[in-house]
Amino acid sequence: MSEFEPNIVAFLCNWCSYAGADLTGTTRTHYPPTVKVIRVMCTGRVNPLFVLQALRQGADGVLISGCHPGECHYLKGNFLARRRFLLMKNLLEYIGINPSRIRMSWVSASEGKKFADVITEVTEDIKKLGPLKSFKREIL
Amino acid sequence: MNIQKLKDEAKRAIGRKEVTHLIGYQKGSYGFRISPIFIETKEELDRLTFSPLCSLSLVNYLTIEGKPAQVQSEEEKKSKAKKVAIFVRGCDSRALNQIIAEKGLSRESLYIIGIPCKGVIDLKKIEAQFPNVVDPAEVVEENGKYIITINDQTHEVPKEELIADTCKVCQYPTPLTYNKLLGDKLEGNPANYDDIQKLEEKTPEEKWSFWQNQLDRCIRCYACKNSCPLCYCDGCILDKLTPQWVRRSVDTNENLMFHVTRAFHLAGRCVSCGECERVCPVGIPLMKLNRKMEKDVKELFDFEAGKDPEVKPLLNTFNIEDPDDFVL
Amino acid sequence: MSKTRVGVYICHCGVNIKSTVDVTKLTEFASKLPHVSVAKDYIYLCSDPGQELIKNDINEFNLNRIVVAACSPRMHEPTFRKALRSAGINPYCLEIANIREHCSWVHEDIEKATKKAESILAATVAKASLLEPLEEKEVDVIPTALVLGGGIAGIQAALDIADTGFKVYLVEKDPSIGGHMMQLDKTFPTLDCSACILTPKMSDVGNHPNIELLTYSEITNVGGYVGNFKVTIKKKPRYIIEDKCNGCGNCISYCPIEMPDPFNLNLSKTKCLYIPFPQAVPACFVIDPDYCRYTLNRECKQCEPVCKELGAIDLKQKEQFIEVDVGTIIVATGFDTFDPTLKPELGYGLYPNVITGLEFERLSSASGPTTGDVMINGKKPKNVVFIHCVGSRDKTVGNEYCSRVCCMYTAKQAHLIKDKIPDAKVTVFYIDVRAFGKGFEEFYDRVKQEGIIYRRGNVAEVYKRGEKLVVKAEDTLLGQLVEVETDLVVLAVGMVPRADSNTVNNLLKLSQSSDKFLLEAHPKLRPVDTASDGIFLAGCCQGPKDIPDTVAQASAAASKACIPLSQGKVRTEAQVAQVNDLLCRGCGFCVEVCPYDAIELKPTVIAGETVDVASVNEVLCKGCGACVAACLSGAIQQKSFTDEQLLSMIASLGESYE
Repeated sequence: MSEFEPNIVAFLCNWCSYAGADLTGTTRTHYPPTVKVIRVMCTGRVNPLFVLQALRQGADGVLISGCHPGECHYLKGNFLARRRFLLMKNLLEYIGINPSRIRMSWVSASEGKKFADVITEVTEDIKKLGPLKSFKREIL
Repeated sequence: MNIQKLKDEAKRAIGRKEVTHLIGYQKGSYGFRISPIFIETKEELDRLTFSPLCSLSLVNYLTIEGKPAQVQSEEEKKSKAKKVAIFVRGCDSRALNQIIAEKGLSRESLYIIGIPCKGVIDLKKIEAQFPNVVDPAEVVEENGKYIITINDQTHEVPKEELIADTCKVCQYPTPLTYNKLLGDKLEGNPANYDDIQKLEEKTPEEKWSFWQNQLDRCIRCYACKNSCPLCYCDGCILDKLTPQWVRRSVDTNENLMFHVTRAFHLAGRCVSCGECERVCPVGIPLMKLNRKMEKDVKELFDFEAGKDPEVKPLLNTFNIEDPDDFVL
Repeated sequence: MSKTRVGVYICHCGVNIKSTVDVTKLTEFASKLPHVSVAKDYIYLCSDPGQELIKNDINEFNLNRIVVAACSPRMHEPTFRKALRSAGINPYCLEIANIREHCSWVHEDIEKATKKAESILAATVAKASLLEPLEEKEVDVIPTALVLGGGIAGIQAALDIADTGFKVYLVEKDPSIGGHMMQLDKTFPTLDCSACILTPKMSDVGNHPNIELLTYSEITNVGGYVGNFKVTIKKKPRYIIEDKCNGCGNCISYCPIEMPDPFNLNLSKTKCLYIPFPQAVPACFVIDPDYCRYTLNRECKQCEPVCKELGAIDLKQKEQFIEVDVGTIIVATGFDTFDPTLKPELGYGLYPNVITGLEFERLSSASGPTTGDVMINGKKPKNVVFIHCVGSRDKTVGNEYCSRVCCMYTAKQAHLIKDKIPDAKVTVFYIDVRAFGKGFEEFYDRVKQEGIIYRRGNVAEVYKRGEKLVVKAEDTLLGQLVEVETDLVVLAVGMVPRADSNTVNNLLKLSQSSDKFLLEAHPKLRPVDTASDGIFLAGCCQGPKDIPDTVAQASAAASKACIPLSQGKVRTEAQVAQVNDLLCRGCGFCVEVCPYDAIELKPTVIAGETVDVASVNEVLCKGCGACVAACLSGAIQQKSFTDEQLLSMIASLGESYE
């Protein structure tokens, strides 16, 4: 049996984390091929319901990553996202989703190395937990 | 609660020239049921009632008509200042405050008669003790007991046995906003989230199996959504086909999405009236979800829904100092 | 709408993608995805033949959605948008799958990387097939700029814009322009007289036909967007009519009230009817309402009759609000000096002979309270100690940054002491000496040659012993505690953001970096832009800097601010929010979360009733999407990032590993 490779969906803001992930590529810093990125202009766009939606549609983990506090391209989107996400994370934890599957990070456009580290860490954590089978919606 | 005082106050309210009608409670058609009544004339006043059976929130009947009509100028505001009179309990007043904060209603359009509420009866509990009651029954509260009259026979039941679970931990029994208050203010309970904390402390597997068992039963009748005073969007995203957030099929996974969406949409908005849980035909402890959000919102952001109509809704604001330790 | 026909183009990027991702397999995978009419791979899609390939296919296969799997959309999205436009389809019907930065460059295993590329591509195609054509709007630009702050930065920026030929409003909160530079005596390292090099520029501002100078004024409201800002300016009452006052000064001697002179940092007195300094622009007097007996208690009025001929004194003047329309704004609000009472161990405020560097400038200046003689209690100090880094590089006061000017102004001031009092013993306590600029190191060297003692060490305490002050410090080179007796201590205070900077920042919706100075759009590549289009930064409001750097930045900001003015048009964001009136519940959640005040509730007739419905100003909207996540009913959506589009990606990515 081949090793379990988690399927992680990441929502990255265009200005910081997406650019940071681009820098990870430019510097050829390697990380596990587990994460697939959905680009949004700002973490403020990420509806927390996307998190549960991703998990029940097949993701084993979700990451939301944006600009560091105070550095949001749109001034306050990351602050709004932080509040919304924390509540959603707590709610999902409360119904039995391991919090290691639901992560948020601040990665700036210059933190290519940090992006790789975040993905490596999140991947390792989810590998330990195994696939999130019980939450998956049936495919029609 | 002195019913005569209630009727007198109602009479004064509909006697006011700006009040178009009054929303109150009347006995339902059978057993322990209660229904709303919309009173426009003095003749109808006699049907008014209030008792521990009055668990439904009358606030729903204000928002059910749709968006508040836009009042253009101060002058028009005065001339158009038609008001609806409404009876509210502590939780209802918070619902009103919250809806006013969300611009769903305007305070000027309401004449609020507050009733300090000692708690309501959980219909499921009383119908379990007294099944198949057909004729309208009466309940009054006296010295920690409910005196229940069914077909001229009286029964005494300790309040503890029948009172709704949410009311046991009610922090705001006295309305926070009103034009008139009927009776003396009541002291609320201190915040108590022991039940929530107990569930929080379980392992992820235990929590999931608990909720799986609960959500598995949901038949998606939407009674929770319809009875909720804060669920008043014109088009609910959970009903939509494009995009389809949740499928119509009744299975645990779709039910999960439905209830988590509801709990999240109520985060920082739920006023803990507990009606969703009481109307659930399959007994899903929905307040365990809503109270979890209420607890977190209070602990993390020092916020309580419906306390002040001037305060911006929780998720529309932020504090630079909000918790950050969970972020990588 | 015609049938969705997606074309997928997979770039090899030479070997950059091809070496890790099996592009042939990926192309075959793509061709089987829903709605895909054609899928091709090519060595360099961004090259001209690569773009031609796409353009030809658009026509040949009647494609209406294009997916390019290549490098980051941050690289070539504009390139491919142009290609779509020239092939006659809407440029926003493009979606880019990033299989280089996010895939081939970060993974080694070909099989796994290819599988990931397939996931990315499938999700991108899913979104692309739901894309809608969008329209960019163009709006006219008002060919006028506003410069906020009349220090050297604001002066330079205003002059440059005015010389380019555009009208400029220069708004200054004080009665005269000039700013901190006017208060300085000499400038390092050239020892030019600060006022002498500044005043010609000031009179240029005063005389320039394109500059409208609004002194003693503050902005109170900013609305609009790049090209069309609407700024409300409050003109505080001077109690002197600017157009009538000729600056003769006959009135001064009749004013009976004295007050501390703000220009001399309260080191001397002035009348409350005053001109800040002789070369002030405008050369117009002002009455301080906090001291004037008439404005306070309706008494006195001795000045008014003196100016009978001109009638320039008007003690009943009220504040005025002016609204101006401008295309671009430059913020040049400057800095405050660090308040050394926050470091009580240094004795500032306790001992009169502990002064700040800026106070030293006034003492040393020929136009200052002592006409240039450095005097303490009427005596020339024989021992002087300078202390570096007061309020800079100091975590205990929350300022981690270097203020960049203190090392050099201290060297200059030490030199001035030696110049004026040759037998004075001058000691400088420093952490490091940062002499990085042109001519700085040479100047520092010269000052050391003049017999000034530089001791490396952080000062622990300043206290009084008899008539003298004692500076106690650890000399970290000798590794011993030293005490230096002195007559005068000069604190090299650093720069901090203006105390009222939050007001301005909020009005203009500017963000701050962690040091609380204003944040530029990019630290390297857009150092004078802000995140708000059409608003630029100049001078110390963006961070501490010396005069030449400030002037350079001001000219840079001016040239940036002139770009939209000379283009005459600006394009607006296309991926903006839009509202479904029927679903909107009028709660205003979107209004409250919008960082740009781009949404308002507008009375709208829905089913015969007039109700409040959210309405987006497409020119103000920057397309962040915060409103979409706040909306409970899904009534507001961001174009190209709708719930439906993003959910399709989520579904596709989830299923990819089933």
